[in-house]
Amino acid sequence: MLEALQAMGSVVLDPFLLLLIFATTIIGVVIGVLPGIGATTGAALLLPFTLTMSPVHAITVLSTIYVSATFAGSITAILINTPGTSAAAATTFDGYPLAQRGEAGRALGIAVVSSTVGGIFSVIVLCIAAPMLARVAYHFRPPEYFALTLFGLSMLASISSGGSIKNLIGGVFGVWVSTIGAEPTTGIERFMFGNYDLYEGLSFVPVFIGLFAMSELLVQSKKANQIVNTIGMKAVKLPSREDYKKIWKTILRSCGIGTFIGILPAEGATVASMIGYAEARRWSKNKEEFGKGSIEGIAGAEAANNAATGGAMVPTMVLGIPGSGTTAIILVGLMVHGLRPGPYLFTEQVDKVYQIFGAMILANIMFLVMGLYAAKIFARISLVPISLLWPIVFAFAVVGSYSLSSALMDVWIVLIFGVIGFFARRHGFAVAPIAVGFILGEMVETNLQNSLKMFDGQWWMILTQPLAVLFLVLAVLGLCGPMIFDLLIRRQKHNGDSSNS
Amino acid sequence: MKISDLIVPGVITVFSFIVIYLSLQLDLSPPMIVGDSMQPRAFPIFLMIINLILVGLLTYQFYQSPPDSIPLEPFQTWGSIILLVIFYGMTTGVDFFIAIAVVMFLMCILWGEKRILVALSASLVTPILIFVLFDQVLQIRFPRGLLLDWYYG
Repeated sequence: MLEALQAMGSVVLDPFLLLLIFATTIIGVVIGVLPGIGATTGAALLLPFTLTMSPVHAITVLSTIYVSATFAGSITAILINTPGTSAAAATTFDGYPLAQRGEAGRALGIAVVSSTVGGIFSVIVLCIAAPMLARVAYHFRPPEYFALTLFGLSMLASISSGGSIKNLIGGVFGVWVSTIGAEPTTGIERFMFGNYDLYEGLSFVPVFIGLFAMSELLVQSKKANQIVNTIGMKAVKLPSREDYKKIWKTILRSCGIGTFIGILPAEGATVASMIGYAEARRWSKNKEEFGKGSIEGIAGAEAANNAATGGAMVPTMVLGIPGSGTTAIILVGLMVHGLRPGPYLFTEQVDKVYQIFGAMILANIMFLVMGLYAAKIFARISLVPISLLWPIVFAFAVVGSYSLSSALMDVWIVLIFGVIGFFARRHGFAVAPIAVGFILGEMVETNLQNSLKMFDGQWWMILTQPLAVLFLVLAVLGLCGPMIFDLLIRRQKHNGDSSNS
Repeated sequence: MKISDLIVPGVITVFSFIVIYLSLQLDLSPPMIVGDSMQPRAFPIFLMIINLILVGLLTYQFYQSPPDSIPLEPFQTWGSIILLVIFYGMTTGVDFFIAIAVVMFLMCILWGEKRILVALSASLVTPILIFVLFDQVLQIRFPRGLLLDWYYG
């Protein structure tokens, strides 16, 4: 415990790391306020720049982008009614009405304080829960890992955007993409069509840059002629004593909700903020204020979405299963820098892990300062015309993807997956399930193969392992629950429509 | 339910069958290597069977509640996709950085940037800055072309 605290404290003594957190927080907030870019795209674009850094510095950059961009989405949500990130969508419900009443500064003050408390709370939970979970996961063997990855994939059914069936189709497609290349145990080439650049499979980063950044570019092209109006504000104000009295319970509740939602594989800040907001409304004594500028609404959504960031890091680091789209990129970052995600990370490189946790706490404090003193300046960045912004993103996307292994094939992968991602999104398929499926694909196949070898080809023996059975039951619940729910809602809607007509 | 609602399930079904067909063409690994595990073709086939089941459910869902029709994208979107193809052609035929600059400029104009000089400066300054950053700081060597042949010598 003392060693962990020492490692966390050591980040304060690393001036380069502090400078890096400062600079990355600025970049993260800029990314967050630019509608459309968001934490996932930002992290994917910045990943190539971290290659020359030490593992701790590199993961700090990515996690700082994650926490700061998640918060910064609220700036534009409050000032221009456009959430910078999907996680800030619930903040628009009350943030914008409050800003319209001339209290934009107060709304931002509540958002930044709630986000900071949520973020720090979740990192503390991460510090406590991750080593405990790692101790359990240390005993996992291939059958348990196979069942766990199936559970992770099943959770795709409940990702917020897209329908559950569409998300699962996306996940299956992602898993299939992971089979491209030579099969690891036999060396048999799969779906390479004679192209030996694909022998080791598709790299994570170009696929992610394509799915998130390039497809977003094509989606944003629809908004090329949109004009946004901003609301002016004098300064960001810290919440008053009365405000604190009104929101502290909401913040605490949302911290718990956000962290828990974040821990669930494949769930993320967007779901957390929506549930945080709904629960804030449910428990509030002033329900009528919601939707008209309730400070509890802002606090509920913002504390939950930032609390989800630390929560999402738990399965990412302990089990190698990403808790959200951005943590999928952080997971790739961990692998690229030689930090093998999984329980062994907590025994072999525990000092690095706690340094990363310490850096995450600092990042949360850093965006509190920036949110309070520079939100007004950052809000102006959102006015950069997208006709200039996205061509610049295009240049960074193609050069960044090339730089990873100096291969033009990676650039073509970005373009192809950009177009695939665009058409998927056009037809209501979210791209995050494809990314999560792609990451988990190799784990599923390898652990299934190893389980079969372990049990002499008798797959049903997996069902004799208690923990594996537990994960499989959870997977079935995760899979069927939202699908049945989806079908029931559609049937209800259909019946309602036919009775109306 | 309209015929157009069947396009997405249809495309996924065709894709799944193509993958199954291609998987069946894969080489078989000798039993002594595979052992008690599975052949490399088994996993993709298994995935596509799951996909076909999911497509069945999706079609049923569409039958129960038809999806909203999707409005056609503006010309900027289709133009941007064409620009990606132009980028591919120019990178392989001319030069990576020239391709970036040209595509950036055309994209700025296509997306409605009326200030030609601003678009031109953005599409020239950005690739130069990115090149300096990656070449000098990150020591990345870029693919040769018209411009980089001259630079690298």
